[in-house]
Amino acid sequence: MIEITIDDRKLSVEKGITILEAARRNGIKIPNLCFDKRLRPYGGCRMCVVEIEGGRKLASACGHPAREGMVIKTNSPRVRRVRQSVLEFLLVHHPLDCPECDKAGECALQDLVFEYGVPETRFTGERKHAQPDVRGPLIELISNRCILCAKCVRICSQYQGRGALGLIGRGFPTVVQPAFGEVLECDYCGQCIDICPTGALISKPYKYKARPWFLEEKENICSFCGVGCTLTLGIREGRILRSKGREGAGINDGNLCGRGRFGFDYIYSENRLRTPLIKEGDEFRDASWEEALTYVARSLSSIRDAHGPNSIGAIGSPRCTVEDNYMLAKFMRAGLGSGNIASSEAFGYAGALRAFSLSFGIGSNPADLASPLGRDVILVLESDPTITHPVFGLNILRAKREGSRLLVADYRETKLTRHSNTWLQLRPGTLVALLNGMMNVIMDRGLFDRDRVSGIRGFSSLEAVVKEYTPAMVSEITGLTGEAVTDAAVTFANAPRRLVIMPLAVSENNKGPGSALAAANLLILLGEEPSSLQVPAEYCNTYGMLEAGIMPRGGGMDVFDMLYKPGHLRALYIMGEDPLVSMPDSRKIKNTLRSLDFLVVQDIVMTEAAELANVVLPASSWGEKEGHFINAGGLRQRIRKVVEATGKSQPDWQILRNLGLAMGINLGAKSFQDITKEADDFIAGGRREAEGAPRPAFHPVAYEPEEPCDSEFTYTLVTRDVLQHSGNMSTRSEALKLVQAEAFLEINEKDAERHAISDESHIKITSRRGAVYLRAKVTDAVPEGVVSTPVHFPSGGINELTHFSGNTCSRLDAVKIERVK
Amino acid sequence: MFNDTVLKEIEGIKAKYPDRRSALLPSLYIAQREFGWLSREAMTCVARSLNLPEAVVRGTASFYSMYKHKPAGRHVIQLCTNISCMILGAGKLVDFLETRYGVPANGTSGDGRFSLVIMECIGACGTAPAMLVNTDFYDNLSEKRIEEILENYK
Repeated sequence: MIEITIDDRKLSVEKGITILEAARRNGIKIPNLCFDKRLRPYGGCRMCVVEIEGGRKLASACGHPAREGMVIKTNSPRVRRVRQSVLEFLLVHHPLDCPECDKAGECALQDLVFEYGVPETRFTGERKHAQPDVRGPLIELISNRCILCAKCVRICSQYQGRGALGLIGRGFPTVVQPAFGEVLECDYCGQCIDICPTGALISKPYKYKARPWFLEEKENICSFCGVGCTLTLGIREGRILRSKGREGAGINDGNLCGRGRFGFDYIYSENRLRTPLIKEGDEFRDASWEEALTYVARSLSSIRDAHGPNSIGAIGSPRCTVEDNYMLAKFMRAGLGSGNIASSEAFGYAGALRAFSLSFGIGSNPADLASPLGRDVILVLESDPTITHPVFGLNILRAKREGSRLLVADYRETKLTRHSNTWLQLRPGTLVALLNGMMNVIMDRGLFDRDRVSGIRGFSSLEAVVKEYTPAMVSEITGLTGEAVTDAAVTFANAPRRLVIMPLAVSENNKGPGSALAAANLLILLGEEPSSLQVPAEYCNTYGMLEAGIMPRGGGMDVFDMLYKPGHLRALYIMGEDPLVSMPDSRKIKNTLRSLDFLVVQDIVMTEAAELANVVLPASSWGEKEGHFINAGGLRQRIRKVVEATGKSQPDWQILRNLGLAMGINLGAKSFQDITKEADDFIAGGRREAEGAPRPAFHPVAYEPEEPCDSEFTYTLVTRDVLQHSGNMSTRSEALKLVQAEAFLEINEKDAERHAISDESHIKITSRRGAVYLRAKVTDAVPEGVVSTPVHFPSGGINELTHFSGNTCSRLDAVKIERVK
Repeated sequence: MFNDTVLKEIEGIKAKYPDRRSALLPSLYIAQREFGWLSREAMTCVARSLNLPEAVVRGTASFYSMYKHKPAGRHVIQLCTNISCMILGAGKLVDFLETRYGVPANGTSGDGRFSLVIMECIGACGTAPAMLVNTDFYDNLSEKRIEEILENYK
């Protein structure tokens, strides 16, 4: 610590920080236009000049380190005069089109000019008269307003790791634009919009929608991924018009991805359900709540009476609140007496939980969003967290910048592979072989503490299994060189602080619970704690849903029995989920749903599954109800009702309570506070039960190849998330659809050539289960022999192609491809 | 994309620095040599071989005026017309280059053989007028001497 004086205040500050940082930490405001705490000092705007006693010249506070004994004046007449001149010069060029600028009212430049009272300029100079670049889907560039602070350029390349914008040219004609003036194609995170101190980068969906001083700002937790960012929503006349990050608010501290920033408009989808619907013949008709609930109550009661409570099942939702899910579980268990409660997470995070329990003997292993920071080696396994959990992904990029070695094992090129030190490009679905191979090398070379580890349960069987996975054998399976496997193992084993990151997503078929077990084996072998295995839960409330009791217990059926084996169930209650889109092998599910006597779907929009339902109940969406989400880190966060409910929709928990009453079951929950408290107690009880020291054990996993290619089905299909979407809810967002509105198939250039496929060609892909038609995206990001597609889009029907089996390593599918003439 | 020899050359430059961005300026010179000027293709090749965003490459390239941002002739003549050279007849030499070789000041000859850049002092005032052809230096210029010199640049 050193002592400095700022504006007559004696301060003790950390050694090495800048004057600006020292001032910020002590609540002293130094004006600036090009500073952001996420970026390296730039010193471009000269607004942060301060006077240092004994110094001849003024210093820019953002780049000048504070030194012992420094006496600094941040607001002396000399400093103010210089700042006034800086602003005066800026206004020579900056247009005064504030009346039609979206930024007016919350513009850093405008505020500073107001504060410093810049007189009419003494100079005349050139102004830019370029047309705004309105070509991109979500972000508009208005270069006339740009003051060249380069914040957007820097956040894009330094922080987001993308580098879509550059400062092109030199001197006055410099413009911020994509490299060659092409249409901006980027992650569409919109961080550049928030960071711009003027109106040079603006959100297109929000353009001309409202003056900021008329916006009512309310904070809410994002409803997409498991990170649980805080959104600052701008609301006018009961409608959410924009979403932005605010420094200091929530775990994201000002960062947002494109889904959080632009995707909230799914709640305004035309497809929203406004009233209960009852199917008559093949058509739905509107019904009142009373009629619909009476009908559901009577049907469920008679099925339960005739076939027993086990003939009824329910599916919960990682998108619904803790309260909603708790109520569904209570309705099923306490109300109907059925333990058949499951969710799509059987294909995702529930597998991870099983691995945590088997390997570490723990009931939960919440992710830590800051975990990548300060690690020597980070190993990312067949995942791209910058897509699945974007704001978590930012910490991986940051760790890399700060010196961590980043090893990425992935079959395809991603943003992370581009930033990695080593990209292990393995064949999809062969992760288990790679991990076993790494353990083989570690054991072979004695890079672990044998005395400590050999006593752990399962060690000898691990040794026996792993023995076979010599680098040569692993090379054959994964396509990596034996050397690469050895290097990865040695690098990882020799690093003092290590981390493995591998989200398990419902929508990904290239890894499974077995992969998580294999990763856990590797970590236990090296004496690591559970916290070194980061498997962030997928959606906004995946974690909370499972904690609220949405998992089969006491002999209850899981989705595998409920949905893939017709005849197990007579009635099914689906809340906030569309298994026909999100789960594999949808044809089988469709058959099962059709075979039911009674299907209830409760959702915010009409879904594929709802089309098959007897009754459809309209639920209020995120933003229209109160509740809690629990993020991937186990953090319980309040979500707020910020706008009125759509039509006659009601919060899910309320619908279930009322349904209970209609069946003569009192589920309690007179008020929201009641149900919150009850759910909270339930979760706290579950957490207490799960407490206890980890009891590690090895559960060796052998690599099992999944559905091999043959002469007919020659390609391996990998399903994978895209950045603009999260599950299928985001596909109802008009804004996100502007970037990606339909499914596509990525295919390698050489394979495309072989089939005479070009970009946008229509192609038919066929698996052993079905066929779908997609547009091609020719790319060198996927290797030859592999095709990749996102499953988000209901219209894509990708899950008609996919399958699942008992294989815990992966559930890859073999497909064939034809060009459609 | 660059051929293997060029890629190896760039790898060699990359190896000298801890940060691959440091290899950007020299790599741009190589691209310029290979493509004749910094075309979009040339900059894309640099971006790919250094694993840098195109916006960074173009942003950097466009900052420096001494890269060739337009297609240039096979040989670039840079002739000084500052005071010493001017007094000793550099102006006439400019006219000579245009009439004899068809290369206008700051332009390129129709046959693509020469580009002429009028440049500032190259520090040869004592032996003015002076010029650079590509990277070769020549002084004490006259029309006749220019003709002899340019014979070597087909």
